Amino acid sequence: MSNDNSRDITVLNPWLEYLVPLLSFGGALVGIFFWVTTASVDYRISILGCVLASWVLAYLAWMRPKKDIVALSTPVYSFIFLAVPTDNFSAVVLEVLYAVSLTILLIRLKYRFGAQVVKVPDKKELVDPVKIYVEKIHETGLFPHPGIAHTAAVVFVRFAEGEFFDAARAAKSSIAEQNDAVGPELCLKRAFEIVREQSNLLDQSLPAPETFLTFSADDAPMLAQVPDPKFGKSEEYDTALENALLILFAVAWNVESDRPHLLQCQAFAQRLLGQ
Amino acid sequence: MRIGNVDVKVSIIAIAVFVFFTIILLVSSVYSPEVRSQLIWLIPVLFMLLVIPMALNYMSRKEYADMEPQYEAVAKTVRVKLINESMIGKPVRIEGVVERVNFRFLNRPQYIIADRSGSISVKMFTSPNEDVKVNDIVEVLGQVIHRYLVTGDPCVNCISIKKIKKPAKDSKS
Repeated sequence: MSNDNSRDITVLNPWLEYLVPLLSFGGALVGIFFWVTTASVDYRISILGCVLASWVLAYLAWMRPKKDIVALSTPVYSFIFLAVPTDNFSAVVLEVLYAVSLTILLIRLKYRFGAQVVKVPDKKELVDPVKIYVEKIHETGLFPHPGIAHTAAVVFVRFAEGEFFDAARAAKSSIAEQNDAVGPELCLKRAFEIVREQSNLLDQSLPAPETFLTFSADDAPMLAQVPDPKFGKSEEYDTALENALLILFAVAWNVESDRPHLLQCQAFAQRLLGQ
Repeated sequence: MRIGNVDVKVSIIAIAVFVFFTIILLVSSVYSPEVRSQLIWLIPVLFMLLVIPMALNYMSRKEYADMEPQYEAVAKTVRVKLINESMIGKPVRIEGVVERVNFRFLNRPQYIIADRSGSISVKMFTSPNEDVKVNDIVEVLGQVIHRYLVTGDPCVNCISIKKIKKPAKDSKS
């Protein structure tokens, strides 16, 4: 799915939210109309409005990072509701009550289960926050040797998998190849060094040391998050690692063959970007 | 109740069920001679309502206690923000503040643990050794899992949760 389609989802979702009360109360109104006019149709046709509204609500619940099991299970209830034979009056009353319930669940979903996220639908392309950052790094003219870019991918993926020892080892091998790095490439080398240092510490479950590697002020244009001067040691330590990992991800994106692996870890990159 | 090294805890639900059926049995045995004649097996069955949850709790807690040293040996201490989908199945150790506790009454507590980098859901499928409350600073040992077995955001399947004394500045307040 293209990034443009991802944007469409965010535009579409508010409309889907309106659809829940529209379909459920619309169905209930149709049912009331049939009942009042004593139309010679099966009133339960109008229940389809509630069934569709349940599916829309379940979809909206599915799109959120925190899943609401009640909203997710509403299609099941709607089918039970549809399948159980009731007289016309009961069907209309049930429909109204069900429409009210779905609307309450929608409000609960919105306020208790947070904002929906644009998911990485098929893991085929980068999504916006990550894509913007990758483009930003490319604009700085940082296109290292494919071998180094591949190692960046290895380091990032191994780190994301929690294989800190492997990440540190791969980073070490790459640092040795970048002895004459200058400009943006020096920043990349520093990113490898930071990841190596912190991976070693994570592998041994050691706390942040008193002194640790950070980026220099010259590297600021390449960083996803410029450290705030008010940061304490802990925040500075964490931010250095997050920036370093994101630089490695952006650089690794240059190598086409590594992209499927990077896409698998894209959610981690998004998380590092604070998404 | 303590059996061996395991402190067995019965959930309030199991106790409520036991009390409910005890009252039903008492009332019905007063009014019905038929029920009175069946008391010889009804009373043991009634106690099974307590014994079975206790046995299950004992077995699960013993299993967790046996697993704890293995996790202690291999789990890496990570910040919450570093836990991601690619780490599913990995043993981890996190330290943070308890922001919320749910389902304690079911002996299946779920905690929201936060450190300075973020917060994560920690699920425990048995009762913890310690009574962990909101604002306690804890060390959690567990495995990264999907929230709904095969899907959902990553969370931690807790093997052990212990209160630790650390300066408040190390954790998100």
